[in-house]
Formats: sequence, C-alpha cells, structure tokens
Amino acid sequence: MFKWLNAQGSEFKHHTPGETNYLSKLDPKLNEKNANGILEKPFPLNLSFRSEPILSEDLRNEIYNRVVRMQRSVRGVSVELGVDMRRVAAVVRLVELENKMKEQGKSLAIPYARAIHEMVPTTPLYDDAREYRSNPHENINDLPVHRLTDPQIFYPVSESRQFNRIDAGRAFSGAPALLHRDAARMAAEPDETIRRITQGDFRQIETVGKGEDEQQVLLPADARIPHPHLIANDRNRISHGMTEPGLVRTKYYKRLDQEMEVDQKRKERAQQRRERTIHKVQPENSRFEFRFRDAVVSAQTTGANGRGSQAPGHRYGVPSYDRKKGQVKIPTRVKV
Amino acid sequence: MVVRIRLARFGNKHKPVYNIVVAQARSARDSRPLEVIGTFNPIPQRPTGLSDEEARAARAYKDISLDRSRAKYWLGVGAQPSDGVWRLLHMAGLIEAKKVPNK
Amino acid sequence: MRNRATTSLNKPKIRQSWSKYNLYNLSRIRPPHFGQRTFFQQKWASKSMARDYHGEQVPEKKWQRMFSPRMRSVVPMSSFEMAKDDGSSQSAGRGSGLDKKPGAPDTLEKFIRSRRVPYTQMTFAPLERRLDTAIFRAMFASSARQARQFVVHGAVTVNGKPMRYPGYLLNPGDMFQVEPERVMYATGAPKDRNERRQTRAARKEKAAAKEAEEAAEEAASTEEAKDETKGEAKEEAAVETESPRETLTALLAQAKNIMSRSKDVLPAKRKQELRGFQKAVRRILSRSGSSTVLTTNLEEQFAELTTLLKAKRAEKPSDSKAKEENGENSEEATAEKPSTENSASEDVAGKAPENSPITTQLAEAFRQATQNPEQDVDASELTDHEFEVLRRALIQMRDNPIDSTKPYATPWRPREYMSAFAMIPRYLEVNHNICAAVYLRHPVARPGWTEVPSPFGEATHTPAFLWYLRRR
Repeated sequence: MFKWLNAQGSEFKHHTPGETNYLSKLDPKLNEKNANGILEKPFPLNLSFRSEPILSEDLRNEIYNRVVRMQRSVRGVSVELGVDMRRVAAVVRLVELENKMKEQGKSLAIPYARAIHEMVPTTPLYDDAREYRSNPHENINDLPVHRLTDPQIFYPVSESRQFNRIDAGRAFSGAPALLHRDAARMAAEPDETIRRITQGDFRQIETVGKGEDEQQVLLPADARIPHPHLIANDRNRISHGMTEPGLVRTKYYKRLDQEMEVDQKRKERAQQRRERTIHKVQPENSRFEFRFRDAVVSAQTTGANGRGSQAPGHRYGVPSYDRKKGQVKIPTRVKV
Repeated sequence: MVVRIRLARFGNKHKPVYNIVVAQARSARDSRPLEVIGTFNPIPQRPTGLSDEEARAARAYKDISLDRSRAKYWLGVGAQPSDGVWRLLHMAGLIEAKKVPNK
Repeated sequence: MRNRATTSLNKPKIRQSWSKYNLYNLSRIRPPHFGQRTFFQQKWASKSMARDYHGEQVPEKKWQRMFSPRMRSVVPMSSFEMAKDDGSSQSAGRGSGLDKKPGAPDTLEKFIRSRRVPYTQMTFAPLERRLDTAIFRAMFASSARQARQFVVHGAVTVNGKPMRYPGYLLNPGDMFQVEPERVMYATGAPKDRNERRQTRAARKEKAAAKEAEEAAEEAASTEEAKDETKGEAKEEAAVETESPRETLTALLAQAKNIMSRSKDVLPAKRKQELRGFQKAVRRILSRSGSSTVLTTNLEEQFAELTTLLKAKRAEKPSDSKAKEENGENSEEATAEKPSTENSASEDVAGKAPENSPITTQLAEAFRQATQNPEQDVDASELTDHEFEVLRRALIQMRDNPIDSTKPYATPWRPREYMSAFAMIPRYLEVNHNICAAVYLRHPVARPGWTEVPSPFGEATHTPAFLWYLRRR
C-alpha cells in the first residue's frame, strides 16, 4: 500500500489550487476534462456521477446583494444568474447567518473555506450577463418526473385534433378529453392558459376519481416547471424579438412583477388563514399567551365508534404504537 | 350525578398533554369520557420565525384546541367546569371569571 | 492509525472516509465480473459491497425500512423549445408512418434521448437524507462516522436548534451547522510530534506563568516588576537602533516568501517563514510606545498593521510628488505632514500617542529613502504590488494564525489526500465560512447523471437495487 501511496498516490497528497484532484486522473481513458477544463469524475467506476461546480464567493455575494440590497425578486435573480430559486433563497439565508456571526465576533473557518474553494470546481461571477444564459450554474427549469407519467399509454387521437401537453396530462391522469371548443380556446392563448393555472387558486384545479382515489388532473409540463413565465417570454421573443426587443423586455419585467405580486398575495392569504383559526389571548396576570384553535367534534370527525382520527385529543381504546419497533421515535422536523 | 368539564392527563412523564373532556364527576380521571371537546398543552412553546427584536418581546405560548359550540352546549345543560378548565373557558370568552368566595 | 475493523486491506471495503487507506482501496477496486455466479450470489455480493459504503453505520433492518423503489428524477426543460412547440408537433403523425426527418435540430431532446436516466444509481438516495451523511457530504467531517460523532457530541444544530440524532432525516429547506472549530479539526492536518511537544511546552509555560503570577500577587513586590519592565524597555531600545528601512525590506521579503505559493514548498518550511514574519511584525509593533498592550491581542495587532499600511498608502502619492520636485524634497514632504513631524518630535521625547510612532517611523523611512541616492531600491520598496503583497500576507496571518492551543496543526492546512474526495453534491448549498449548509431538496437523477455520490457504477447498483426490491 505504501508503495502505491509513495508512487502514484503521491499526486493526491496535496491539491493544486483551481484544479480537481480525483482518482480518475490515473486512468488514461477517464482523464478527459470537460468544457471548463476540469476533471469532473471523482470515482473511476461510476461514470454517471460528476462533481458539479459550487457557487464561488463572488457569485454568492452578488446573489445576496441583488436580493437583499437591491430588493429584486428571488425569481428574477434566479433567471438572471442561472441559479435555482431554492438555492438563491438558501444563499440569502446563509449569508445572513454569516453576517450575524461576524457581528457577534464568532470565529469563522476561513482558511478551510478557501481550501475547499481551491479543490472543488466553482462557478465564477461572470462580467458578461450573457454568460449566465449560455453557461449557467444549473438548469433552472427542471421538470420533476411525475408518478403518473411512468406507465406507457396507448392513446388514440383523431387526426383532426392537435394533441398537446395539456391533453397529455389529462391522458396520463385518466381524465376525459377536453371539448373541442375548450381545447381550441386554450390553444389560441397558451400564455393566458398557463398563467391562469400557475397564478390561480390551486384548489380550483379539476380533479378525477372518487373518494380516496380522487386526485388532481396532471398539469401540463409548462405549468409544472419552476419558471413558467419564461415560456411566455420566449414565445414573445420568437414572434416579436426581431422587430421590437424593447417591448419583449418590458413585458418580461411586467410578468415578473405579476408573479411577485401573486406570490406575495398567496403568502398573505395563507397568513390570514392561519390567524383566522387561531384566537390569541394574553392575560395580564400571566407570563404566557394562550392560543385557542378551533376544533370540531361531530359525528364526521369522531366516527361511529368514537375512534376517528379527525377528532381532537387522545383517542380512547386505540393503542399508541409510539414504542413499537419500526416506529420513528426521533424528531421528524425542526421548525425554523 | 354531576357532569363536569375537566382535564384528563395523557402524554408521557414530564410531557403532559391534557384532553378537555366532559365526564361524570365520579368517574376516573383518564377513563373514557362522555365526550372530548378539546386539548390543552401546558408546556409553553417558543414562537419561531421571528426577527431578533420580535423574539425578545414575544411571549411563550400554550396551545389549546377547543370546540366552542360543544363547550357552550355542555355549559348550557349544566356541566360544571373544574377550576383549570374554568380559567381556560373564561379566556376563550365562554363564561365569566370564577368568583372566589370570601371567607 | 488505520482502523483495522473498518478499513481492511485484505478484503477491501470502500467507506465514506477520506483516509489514505480508503483511497488506496478505492484505487484498486475493479468492476465486478460475476462469471458463473448465480443471480442470488450476484445480488448478495453487490448489495454487501454497496452497503459497506452507503450507510455502513445504519443497521440493515433500518435501511430496509427506508428503502423505496420509487426514485426521484427530473428532466431539464428548455423554455425555448417549449415555446416553439406546444407538444402537438411531437405527437402528430405518430403511428401513421410519419417519422422525424433525420438531423432534426432538436438538440435538447436528442441529448435527453441519448442519455438514459441512471435510476438504479439512486438506490441509496434515502440515506443521503440522514443528518450524519449530509454533514459528510458537505465536507464538514472527514468520514461519516466522524460526522455521526459530531452530532452525538452536540456540535450540530438544525435550524438553529441543537440536534443530537444522527439519524434525523433532513427535510428540504433545513439548515444544519457544525461548530467551525470542529470542522477545522476534522479537515485540518493533524499535529506532528514537534508540534505536540510545543503544545505541551506552551501549556506548561502557561501554568508556570500562572503560578508565578499568583506568587507575585502574594508577594506584592511592585518594585521588582518595575525593574523588569525597565529592562524590557532597554532591550526594545536596543532593537530600535536597527534602521527602519532594513526592517521594512526584511518584512517585505518575508511577506513575499509567504505569498509565493509554489507547490514544492514544504509546509514545515512555510510555517517557519510565517513564524518569522510574525516575529518581525511583532518587533515593529514593539517599537511603538504601547507595544506590550498591542502584542498580546492578535486582532488589535492586525488593526494596527492595517492602519500602518493605510498610512503608507496615503503618504505614497505625496512622496512621489516630492520625488518629482528638486533635491530639498524631504523637508517639503515633512512640511506637508506637520502632524507626523510633531509626533516624530514627540517620539524623540518618548511621550508618543498610540498610532503616531509607526507613521513617524515610516515617514522617517521614506525620508531616508528619498535622501538616498540609490533611488531604485527605494522604488522597489514602494510599489503598489508590494503593498498588496504585504497586505495579503498580513490578512492571511490574521485569518490563519499560529496557535498552539488548537487541536490541529497551525497555521491550518487541509489534511493530506483530502482533495481526492473533495466534491459537493448539488442538493446541498454549503457556506464553508460558517460551516453551515442547507438541504435544498432530495437528490434526483437526471438524464445521464445521478446526484448520489457513490464509488460504484451501475454494474453494482442494479443488482443491489434488485436485492432490496424483492418482496419479503
């Protein structure tokens, strides 16, 4: 072993800043670098795993600047810099925590962070904004594969009919085909159709099935990706991009604002709903606040034998399995 | 016999959770009641998701869930709340505060 | 020392660890060739090999309950492609003999078609949700076992609250943080024998000093103490006779040495340089009136040095101006800065305020430099680049100090063979400065790629998946 470590293995002892130093370097077949000149396969046997770049310090600070100082929407920053929305939100949280720790004078692991950024590929902060489009940090429009789309379906369609993604969603979830009239109306204004789905009330989405099998009709991929407004924008660009680029841009920003507004409204409504069900009392002679939530005790919730799980409180005559093998006994979530 | 609205202790050691129950006065504390109308968690919870300033001013809270209409009904037919439940129902605005008799 | 129980060299098992033994084992695994073995044997061998790496610390029963045959995947969509076509052109003519023309420019679609989704590589994805595994993946610990120890020992918080269960399953959006000191210890090079000896010596010295202090307090002999300080002051005075310009050049040379990042420089040698640099800086600082106060606190020391550098910056343009003018520039230069002149006189008198002595020294150095006929030496001393070098060396010294009380070798450097394992999966967003990370989402597969780091390929994962897929 030490023979190997002293001969071939000695390469891995220390790293070269700005380069990855993986085992696949020893294999002449795998020793190929990607477009950015970086060896990206850490494991010689596993060719479907690659070490993907992380955000560089500059890019991270830029994200924080844009979201916090310049008050841009997370959605907008995500599109501009080619970073997933969840990642943008996480970066803001982490940088905020970092600032807080700095304020408190806590020790940071700066040499460690520097070393890591030297060993791991990073996405730099580009000067040219176009670079983010051509060479983004990650794909921001990832479509999660839905359970309903797993089976292959044979679905005959008449030739007079255009079969688009909306119809495909319905076919996958077993919903009846749309009326010709409705389908034509939706196809005529695709942007508006998708906007109505993504910005409307999610509870209004059509459902199929009965009882426990009731489920929402699978939405088209256009509505299930994180940035549906980008499709509308690209449609606009295809049709008007050459003649009036200014108009396309203003429309894009208008759409972003609209999305932000809708998100804001949704949040407010959820907050209101939460507050409506809770009645807070702060007695003067008590250190505590008492929060009364409304519960419903009725035949529907308690069930015929009084053991229904919807009713409030500990249920009588129902064994609790909290000490049983296989039961999760550790916390399952930590509230923020 | 009197019908009482009282608390029945559940949960674990050092982790009490109470059911607010309507039961016959002479029945055992945790036995099957006439009806469960809510729960009471006496362990104060720290509010989360607040900024630093808000967190400093915020009070810890205790969670209660209660079916108000059922509570009203049972009070209407003469169920007598125990002292602890009386305080809770008073806070929920269902009854007057209990008058402590002068000795 | 190798853990013989977990890192065998006879029957190599790959672990979630950065040890060199593991690296050696990793370098010699070959793709499995099952030959005449039965299907059951193939599955058994594959799953045991994979389980040695994935969640080796998790009991088999527990893992079997976590296993799910449904695996998450995503398809990268291009908004441009979706804008061009609402799906009807893809479905048009299917089954009626209409096919796509060869060479259709649907690049993204082609790309997706050409790469299969490596579903079976996602077999062990549920284990990546575990807190200890996530800590290892975020590179906060050198092995999953160590990560587990951090959690159990209470060094980890989830969403700001201490979490002591290594089996806690992270939810998307959870932020976990490990104490930076522990991370530095886990990822830093260990102390060698000399350093350990130095640590012991320092500890003894400290204890002795403490005792002495107590003794001194008991004796309360103030006169002796005074004498001592006087003696120190004399020594300092002796050092002061050294010309400031020389010390400056020496400082610069040392700073340059430190900043030169040549690969073949031995860490020990660099450390010597750093120590020398620190000493030199201290020497300069000790010339100032309040030296004894300043040298104790590193932060203050750094602040002092940065003010010194700023002073240099400020003086530089005026100095260059002075050079452009004629021979009696030095007087002018000093006249431009009456405050420094004043302080210089004060310094001579020995009643200097805190910051001024340094600036005066510098001013003096510059005056000497300008008066000198050898202008090239002077210029080399004052270039912007050198200021930058000096500043960077100082910052590095501040961030990465020599401190024998730490449990790792100081100044901190990454442990050996760490870079071969350095990668951060996409489902985590890590801030290494504060050793915190956010679990963004569950790991997913996408066409051609998986997000679950594993040293084994599909040849191992597929039989392992089939092993766990069987109904029991």
